[in-house]
Amino acid sequence: MATSKPKSLTIRSYQVGFGDCFLLTFHYPGTNKDRHVLVDFGSTGQPKGVPKDLMLKVAEDIKKQCNGKLHAVVATHRHKDHISGFATNKKGTASGDVIASCKPDVVLQPWTEHPKARVDATQAPNGMTTNKAFVAALGNMHAISAAILTEAQRRKSLSKTLKREITFLGDDNLSNASAVENLMQMGKKNFYLNFGSKSGLERVLPGVKTTVLGPPTLKQSSEIKIQRSKDEDEFWMFQALANQFVLKPEARIFRRAKTYATSPAYTRWFLKRMSSIRGEQLLGIVRALDKVMNNTSLILLFEVNGKKLLFPGDAQIENWSYALSKPEIRRLLSRVNVYKVGHHGSRNATPKTLWNGFKNRSKKKTDKTRLKSFMSTMTGKHGKSQSSTEVPRKTLVTALETESELFTTQTIKGKGNISLVCEFKL
Amino acid sequence: MTVPPLRTRKLTIIAQDPSVKINGKILRTQVEIPAEELQSGPWGYRVHTVDFDSSTSTLYQPLKYPSLKDGVDGDPFKGARDAKLLSDPTFHAQNTYAIVMRILARFEFALGRRVSWHFDSHQIKVAPHAFADANAFYSERDQALLFGYFPGRKGMVYCCLSHDIVAHETTHALLDGLRERYTDPSSPEQAAFHEGFADIVALLSVFSLPGIVETLIDISAPRRDRSRIDKKLLTIKELRKSMLLGLAEEMGQELPAIRGNVLRRSVELVPSRDYIKRTEFEEPHRRGEILVAAVINAFLSVWVKRLEALGQVAPGALDRGRVVEEGASVADYLLTMVIRALDYAPPVNLEFCDFLSAILTSDREINPNDSKYQFRDTLRKSFISYGIKPRSPGTPSDPGIWLGPEGAISNDRIHFESLQRDPDEVFRFIWDNRGAFKFFENAYSRVLSVRPCLRIGPDGFALRETVAEYMQILEMQAGELKKQKNLGITVPDDMPDDQEIRITGGGTLIFDEYGKLKFHIENRLDDGDRQSQRLEYLWGYGYYRNPASFRNFASLHRQRATSLTSFSREDW
Repeated sequence: MATSKPKSLTIRSYQVGFGDCFLLTFHYPGTNKDRHVLVDFGSTGQPKGVPKDLMLKVAEDIKKQCNGKLHAVVATHRHKDHISGFATNKKGTASGDVIASCKPDVVLQPWTEHPKARVDATQAPNGMTTNKAFVAALGNMHAISAAILTEAQRRKSLSKTLKREITFLGDDNLSNASAVENLMQMGKKNFYLNFGSKSGLERVLPGVKTTVLGPPTLKQSSEIKIQRSKDEDEFWMFQALANQFVLKPEARIFRRAKTYATSPAYTRWFLKRMSSIRGEQLLGIVRALDKVMNNTSLILLFEVNGKKLLFPGDAQIENWSYALSKPEIRRLLSRVNVYKVGHHGSRNATPKTLWNGFKNRSKKKTDKTRLKSFMSTMTGKHGKSQSSTEVPRKTLVTALETESELFTTQTIKGKGNISLVCEFKL
Repeated sequence: MTVPPLRTRKLTIIAQDPSVKINGKILRTQVEIPAEELQSGPWGYRVHTVDFDSSTSTLYQPLKYPSLKDGVDGDPFKGARDAKLLSDPTFHAQNTYAIVMRILARFEFALGRRVSWHFDSHQIKVAPHAFADANAFYSERDQALLFGYFPGRKGMVYCCLSHDIVAHETTHALLDGLRERYTDPSSPEQAAFHEGFADIVALLSVFSLPGIVETLIDISAPRRDRSRIDKKLLTIKELRKSMLLGLAEEMGQELPAIRGNVLRRSVELVPSRDYIKRTEFEEPHRRGEILVAAVINAFLSVWVKRLEALGQVAPGALDRGRVVEEGASVADYLLTMVIRALDYAPPVNLEFCDFLSAILTSDREINPNDSKYQFRDTLRKSFISYGIKPRSPGTPSDPGIWLGPEGAISNDRIHFESLQRDPDEVFRFIWDNRGAFKFFENAYSRVLSVRPCLRIGPDGFALRETVAEYMQILEMQAGELKKQKNLGITVPDDMPDDQEIRITGGGTLIFDEYGKLKFHIENRLDDGDRQSQRLEYLWGYGYYRNPASFRNFASLHRQRATSLTSFSREDW
């Protein structure tokens, strides 16, 4: 067992298209003393030219690089682009089976994934503890996504762009039972974390201090904001019921009422407008729930020999707010050396307060302490530049390129090449 | 001999929503609205109901209304069973139509003139079952009010059957018609005003129905005695705690999912001057709650004050009927006050402090003597207790009211007759007086509206006024703006010099019955401090990245329901 501190670190950013998959290998002095931490493994869209079984190839490479033994698996949140690779199949040959065969000692997930927090998603949040109601709301969001995906496919009047965006977000927010199950079972021990809790990596990564900076619990959030109301959880429950209702055969609310077989001419302009409003509504709902899911992301800060590595998943400002409200945390974050770019470089997952606080940002390429940033992304998959929602966001990429050394999975080229490897001293 | 046509008609509506019941039956009422010969829909001169469900692509057939000629009652749902009201889509259409018309009539009564929609049509379209969604909103682009429905715990929940939701959305549409620039990106308070004002009108409209006030009293003071109520239950604290919160719980038990429980949130927001300074309240929907709380607080204070003047029917007891009557009439008066104030509010960049001065001034014009129930003093104190001071210092006897215009205003070349309706004539007045108004010279100006209005003055005589709005626009790049030292506007540090910026200002001109300028209520284009704050806010919250989304009520309401924000200072 490694007893001293790691001397260096290798970060492997895998090509998973639009998704995250990072293998962190901490090199301890001596032979065969490496420790491997897999942070996320999911994808929701892959670039042209990659092998069809890309995820399996990535899993096999992870197994090879860690010599068949993972010490920890981190699943920052339950979005498909972060956990789909953990899914298994009956034959035991899927990418998730390969990862499970690496027998991780610990699996880290946010508190919202705790099996005890789970409830029947259709159950009303009334009378439940707030945490359970919130987790129930997350369950409802999966149900909404599934229903909206079906409705979007059925609707002929939807524009191509609208359909594409709804499908992308809806798909990412589907529940992934197989991956969730696998994450629950593959590790010797599971930890469900929130701001300030022990990470569970203390024994696994000696000499590495891991601080959990997010997500906050609902109680913690209420310290900086008026307490979450039950109305919000109810909204998601009723929305789920509404979206599911529409899909039922004979979903009409007034079955006995007389209807028009052909709409009268004077109503047609308005009916056309209303059909387009429906499409916009569907997109608005999936966008909103995508944001809630992102904000359940685990935010981890690793510290070794004064070097700091920040892995925030897809956390957005609502998640970050609690950590950033604390001056001591802002001080700690100001010295970050390695930053995994939040949410594939989207406009709202690298809070400006966080970025502006990084003291190691530097325009000088020769600067030895210059910030290193790692981004896993795929251009053209999500958002539109006309509405400044393109991912990765142009202005953020410019800042990352000019003020840090940027490693992006978009530079992975060449046949058979599926990862970007970066090793540095700690 | 012919019978003169009726001016009003009565239609049955659900008083608040199906969950507010009395003796196990849905509380309903007949509301009085302008009479008209309806086409099937109901399709009237201002409202066209089209019952299309876009989720299932179903267009329901409307009910045919009988002609009102020869004294026909014309209310097809008078005395109908509860089950009928809930299950008949044509009643839902009537309920929505009647509430929209009631609110419209309420606005026209308060302002003394017709109120137009902002879009290019005389009739707003209303879809009572627009989609299966926990949402309802006004869409200017679609010229429509859209109400969703969703399966609740005890059956389907219909937004169109909720009085406060229909009134809220109608108010958005009316406000947009009266003050078209209030949906412009400006300060957080302007965005908050649309939401807050719509909530205030909705709540006061509900409270002004005596049936609702009666139920409200029954909730906290069960009827041991049909005619009396214990005076101890009629303090501000008690009314706030038991009655309003009680009603908040009773009201549409599943409807809070739409946009939170407005009443509960405003009642729970006890007076404090700190809210207005907190970042959390920079969110428009949260900030709007401060405005609602200030008005609801004033409503309770005046109600209690009026009850103090009532004689006791027994030791420590008041007449229940009178208590109800006083509550409904206070709500009704306050509703008129807040609507009338819109004419006295600046047309652009509105802030709560402007609105307070507008209420105080407009009410003083109609009702100079406020000593009896002290509506104005109570409202002013209530607003101040939430950190909102009137914009204008006012006079020692009437603190907070707008003051008359300064300088030598010229009417020399103006034709009074045209001034009452012609935007070009009003523009000429503005142009001729640009020196007296000390306008920033290089801005583009235009008149937004000219509206003659007729009110009944304190002496019982008709009071003719003309209300005109103008706005000024200055467009330049950030770099150029920095050089305009006389404007005194600070450009955010990280804003690029080539960023195109639009600065707006404007004023409301109120002319008296002789065409003399009585008030000039302005938010100036060259108000450096306020313009700098607005620019900082809009830049910080991403307006310049995605301007279109700042005007969308559909997403604003969803954000309100989910407590999510679309715009953050932290975004790229």
